[in-house]
Amino acid sequence: MIQEINTEEYDALDRSGPMLVEFYSKTCGPCKMLAFVLRDIDKLMPDFKIFIIDFDENNELKERLGVKGFPTILLMKEGVEVSRLTGLKQKPVIIKAIEEIL
Amino acid sequence: MSNKITYISQDHLITQQATAEKQFIAEFAKKDYTIEAPYVVKNPYLINPLCALIMFKTSEEVSPTLTVCGKRYSREDLSHTFAAGTVHRLPVLGLYEDFANRVIISLPDGTTSSVTIQTATLPKAVCRCRNISASADYLQNNLMFLTPAGKNLPTAYDYKGDIRWMLTEGTMFDIKRAANGNILTGSNRFCRMPYNATGLIELDMLGKIYKEYRLPGNYHHDHFEMEDGNLLILTQDFHTDTVEDMCVLVDRNTGDILRTWDYKKVLPQNVAGSGSQSDHDWFHNNAVWYDKPTNSLTLSGRHQDAIINLDYDTGKLNWIIGDPEGWPQEMVDKYFFAPVGDVNNFDWQYEQHACVVCPDGDIMVFDNGQFRAKSKENYLKNCENFSRGVRYRIDTEKMEIKQVWQYGKERGQDFFSPYIGNVEYYADGHYLIHSGGIGFKNGIAADHLGAHMDKNDPTVELRSVTVEEKDGVVLYQLETEGNFYRAEKLPLYHDGDNVTFGPGQLLGKLDVTPEFDTVPDAEEANCLPDSWHAIKIEEDEDRIVFHGKFERGSLVMLCLEGDAKSHHYYINTSAVPYLAMCSGAFLEKDDRDIKLNISKEGLDGKLAIKIIINDKKYDTGVVIFTSYRKR
Repeated sequence: MIQEINTEEYDALDRSGPMLVEFYSKTCGPCKMLAFVLRDIDKLMPDFKIFIIDFDENNELKERLGVKGFPTILLMKEGVEVSRLTGLKQKPVIIKAIEEIL
Repeated sequence: MSNKITYISQDHLITQQATAEKQFIAEFAKKDYTIEAPYVVKNPYLINPLCALIMFKTSEEVSPTLTVCGKRYSREDLSHTFAAGTVHRLPVLGLYEDFANRVIISLPDGTTSSVTIQTATLPKAVCRCRNISASADYLQNNLMFLTPAGKNLPTAYDYKGDIRWMLTEGTMFDIKRAANGNILTGSNRFCRMPYNATGLIELDMLGKIYKEYRLPGNYHHDHFEMEDGNLLILTQDFHTDTVEDMCVLVDRNTGDILRTWDYKKVLPQNVAGSGSQSDHDWFHNNAVWYDKPTNSLTLSGRHQDAIINLDYDTGKLNWIIGDPEGWPQEMVDKYFFAPVGDVNNFDWQYEQHACVVCPDGDIMVFDNGQFRAKSKENYLKNCENFSRGVRYRIDTEKMEIKQVWQYGKERGQDFFSPYIGNVEYYADGHYLIHSGGIGFKNGIAADHLGAHMDKNDPTVELRSVTVEEKDGVVLYQLETEGNFYRAEKLPLYHDGDNVTFGPGQLLGKLDVTPEFDTVPDAEEANCLPDSWHAIKIEEDEDRIVFHGKFERGSLVMLCLEGDAKSHHYYINTSAVPYLAMCSGAFLEKDDRDIKLNISKEGLDGKLAIKIIINDKKYDTGVVIFTSYRKR
């Protein structure tokens, strides 16, 4: 399940369990490509939670989470960041990171 | 608005040269050319406009002498006597540009003839000598060879600063003469940004390429010929996240990789970074030197301000020369040296280039000095900085280091190169110091590397200064326009075969270009992309180079579609900042102009080239057949 959220929705999330949070920008080519990668991962792992957040419109949140650029993927478990990936990555790399938090 | 694709299929230069050679050999065979009426081929191998080949036959076996007459007087003549034979093929090297060059051929029996070879003006990209201080006695039959750091061209200058040798192809990085007399330098063939060429080439002074040693991780910066002829070449593994951190030993005859040294195995990557370090380019290896007495490799890593030494057999780290600040204490204790002697005048090297091991084990290096500190708060501005050649004496028992010579500190910013440069050892007290990356903006040392500066801007000056000092006296100084990676003093002729006929060889191999395993949705456009994209597809024997202009943030993917298998390559359209740019040869003026090299390794059959730009897929109409000619 891929869902776009903003800061308020992030704060209201039930952050129990594993999830992936991606910060993207509409002006970023790698982010556009990553959207297709995440779509494919979502097809493979439909029960895994994937949230995407607009980097340019959620300044306070990105600063709070220490996100400095886009695309940035945070792998989280029980609301705590376990690992992060920066830049465009291919499916196997992201799947491996997901499997490490499952 | 129009729609257009440019497709260029061009043989590798080795193939073009083989064709040209076949033609002039056939032409020579048609007549009995004599010394009085020899066969003259100007620029026989297509890339050196300041050379020719003279061929003739004699009835007796004789040893001819060829003289390229000086422009002004006979003191400037360049002469060479060739091996005895009856069929003579004499390279004519060192012609003056835009000049009717008189060339004399003479035989031991006194027979003499002359030919006039008219040359043309050299291309605009050539950098001219601005000042030279040298004598014919000092330089003798040598020229100073400079290798480009940008879109300038490899060039060699005589004692008057006249250009007497050049290549019209931008071969790059180091240039060294091999034991067989040929020269070894980087290929001009683009592989990956910022400056990775397909491999190393071996060529003669006419410009004939005998071998290209292709590497899966490409070639950058430097190489070293071992005693047995095998080659140490700096490279990397593009299938990892880091670059410029590997060296390979390549078989001289086959191009096979025999050994690999991966510095990630001996050095931490996240410590003691220089001002230009990034996670990706953590070490920035720009020089390699093999030292037989210690059986070790000495390697320069610009982005750790470090010169390291590895045991050749085991790959084990022996020592590190550099400012110890920022390194783990256990490494400082084990591998670093403590300055002794005149410590008040001792300086560490920073962001250095081109380490050399002297016959007595001293280490020389071109200390660029960029930032000249490990901590940001202590960084020096370029206009307050200096570059220099330096010689260190190391005691590996006591782990002590003494600075025994330097040249350049006293010249301040005038001699400051934030990047590139080299030193050469001729004898104790006799050295070359090449500060090739000098750049001024409004008369002071610029904050940017020369490769990033606009040389058409009237406030910008790019310079290269090469000095030779003997016993503390400067005996030679060459100042040219532009930036040049390295300088090497060489004679044009050597005592071996100055040309050998027969086709050159493409050895080694490129890697399989990494593909992207996700393909974005895109609607077939049923037209060519807009000509604004300036799509150009170049093809040669072993690769395809795709060029195009894209707005930043566009989603772009190159697709090679076949019946059995398709291949997809993601093209990044984001602006990429390069903190190191030792050669700007492949750099485009507009950073929206992007190129992607695709090796033909791993491709097979008929493939249609298509391009996805955002949500549209365009068929370029170009189809390639990848049963390419393997040598």
